[in-house]
Amino acid sequence: MSGRILVVDDEPQILRALRASLRGAGYEVDTAETAEGALTALAVNPPDAVILDLVLPDGRGTDVCRELRTWSRVPVIVLSVVGDEDEKVAALDAGADDYVTKPFGIDELLARLRAALRRGEGAGESVVEVGELRVDLEKRAVSVAGRPVQLTPHEFGLLRVLARNRGKLLTHAMLLREVWGRGYDGESHYLHVYVSQLRRKLEPDPARPRYILTEPGAGYRLHDAERS
Amino acid sequence: MAGADDAPRLAAGSTVFPVRIRADLLVGVPAAAGAVVLVTAAVDVLDPHVPILSLGALYVFAVLPVALFFGTGLAVLVSVASMLAFNWFFLPPRHTFHLRESGNWLALTVYLGTAVVVSALAARARRRRQDAEQRRAEAHALAETASDLLRGVDLEQEAVRLAELAGGVLHLDAARLEFGEVAPAPGERALPLAVGLRPVATLLADERAELDEGVARRFLPALAALLAVVVDRSALESEALEAEALRRSDALKTALLRAVSHDLRSPLTAILAAAGALANPDLRLGPDDREALVGAIREEAARLDRVVGDLLDLSRLEAGAVDPHRELWPADELVARALESVGDEGGRVIVELDEGAPPVLVDAAQIERVLANLIGNALAFSPPRSPVVVRVEPGTTELRVHVVDRGPGLTPAEREAIFRPFRRGTAAAGAPRGSGVGLAIARGFTEANGGELWTQEDVAGGHFVLALPVAARPVGV
Repeated sequence: MSGRILVVDDEPQILRALRASLRGAGYEVDTAETAEGALTALAVNPPDAVILDLVLPDGRGTDVCRELRTWSRVPVIVLSVVGDEDEKVAALDAGADDYVTKPFGIDELLARLRAALRRGEGAGESVVEVGELRVDLEKRAVSVAGRPVQLTPHEFGLLRVLARNRGKLLTHAMLLREVWGRGYDGESHYLHVYVSQLRRKLEPDPARPRYILTEPGAGYRLHDAERS
Repeated sequence: MAGADDAPRLAAGSTVFPVRIRADLLVGVPAAAGAVVLVTAAVDVLDPHVPILSLGALYVFAVLPVALFFGTGLAVLVSVASMLAFNWFFLPPRHTFHLRESGNWLALTVYLGTAVVVSALAARARRRRQDAEQRRAEAHALAETASDLLRGVDLEQEAVRLAELAGGVLHLDAARLEFGEVAPAPGERALPLAVGLRPVATLLADERAELDEGVARRFLPALAALLAVVVDRSALESEALEAEALRRSDALKTALLRAVSHDLRSPLTAILAAAGALANPDLRLGPDDREALVGAIREEAARLDRVVGDLLDLSRLEAGAVDPHRELWPADELVARALESVGDEGGRVIVELDEGAPPVLVDAAQIERVLANLIGNALAFSPPRSPVVVRVEPGTTELRVHVVDRGPGLTPAEREAIFRPFRRGTAAAGAPRGSGVGLAIARGFTEANGGELWTQEDVAGGHFVLALPVAARPVGV
């Protein structure tokens, strides 16, 4: 795996550890310690992915994310801490692709980073396969272990959004907006009901979902085979 | 004539205000006698020119004022005295009390009737005036109490003033007021102030004091109702205060937890990431990277240790469990040791010592912490490579250590707030590192050692002054 990663954090020792680790994993590494520095680095020398701390001395990572999304689709992984769930969800809604919670293992961060970079490449696939689940986005056909499954339009809409963003964490607000349209952002219960219906039709054991995963307090994602 | 020996009899009739009546009689009896003498003289002067019987009406001028000012008793005496004087001096046969004509009897009866009626009217007016004044005093007292109490004064303090006020209205000497139901002490009588069945307060007065029951029945319930409102309000206020105190302590705990979680998690994150990278066989780490990862682990572990130490110190200081071991120390040694603990950054510090500075009487380890925290703070909040000055200034009773940086300085609001735990200056955006308790700990240790720590206004930047006590007598001489 190769590519250039911009790491944004104001803790010098975290920068130091990430720089060495990412270099060891074969990435080039740029660093920034402030929101302003991050936006400058992003504009001057666009990286392949961004690792972004949510708390920066001159602003919030969420604002950097929002600003960045007006002109770039570069994958963004935010670093959050337990107790700041709202900020994490705000960052995801503002366009971040994924998050890891401090303190994190380097393996976990590297896996998320690989998934984020791969999504950037693999966009536009018409067939998504996860284990025995097969979703044909063009033919609107879904099957589990070769057996076709009938889905309602909303169920399929939900699965399609998840499949297109395979491995990416999608917040409640994003899913509601994509499937039901604007104005439904706050209706999380719709989502919970449809996700549980989908799981009953798709999952071998709906109580222990393997395909549609819940990120507590944040949203849902479709399982990404590589990260298992 | 109405004599002074009549006075005791009159006074005995009135038990409510015996003292005031006696004082009145001292003026009243001579005045009454004077009035009778004066009118008799006037009648004598007019006697040759006017029919004597019509002149008798002049005695009304003696009876009327006495009735108005001194009451019925004296007025009746004056009218009898007037009648006798008129009879004796002017009615034939003169210089006897015999009356030749029955018409004279009639005249005398009229004078007497006039005296009684006028004085009764006057007395009634006087009673009404007194009553109105009493009610006005009560209303005034209640209004004053209401405005005072509702303005929110201290209840216990106000009890003294209220007792005086109530004593004044009820004409009770030495009254005191206590909240709640109180048993009277020996020699006291208790007047309960209650709203319905709920006792609010007790007014305690001298047992022998005369109480006007009517006034008491009217005034005490009103005062009790007022006090009940205020007592309730005061209880609510103290409940609100307690709730506020709890809320603040919760806010402090939340701040503590947030600070602790941030300050512990940041180093942990670096350590965990670095250790994970070192342990991962798939990563191809060069010697530099390996060294960087190991360095990050070492330094962040040391930082964790400092954070934990700071938190422990803070909790000991807040619990008052700091026990300084005070000895005499030269200031330059304390500064040198503090600089050592600051590390490489200490190279930016310019030390200005005074060779004549007296030694200070402090716990060396604690004051070293204070200095290290002050210097560390100055280094963190000033631009890189700008100097930090530590200046030692001797005084007679204290030694002052100034720590001056070229950072953004502090706003007036921050200058005191910065010594509270988990507060940082707002201008600190560039370098908000550290646990946020360093200055709180510095002040805690300083005060435990009998010193003072404050910030001083300085256009150049941050300016902290540490004052430490010097030994009472010079040592080694």
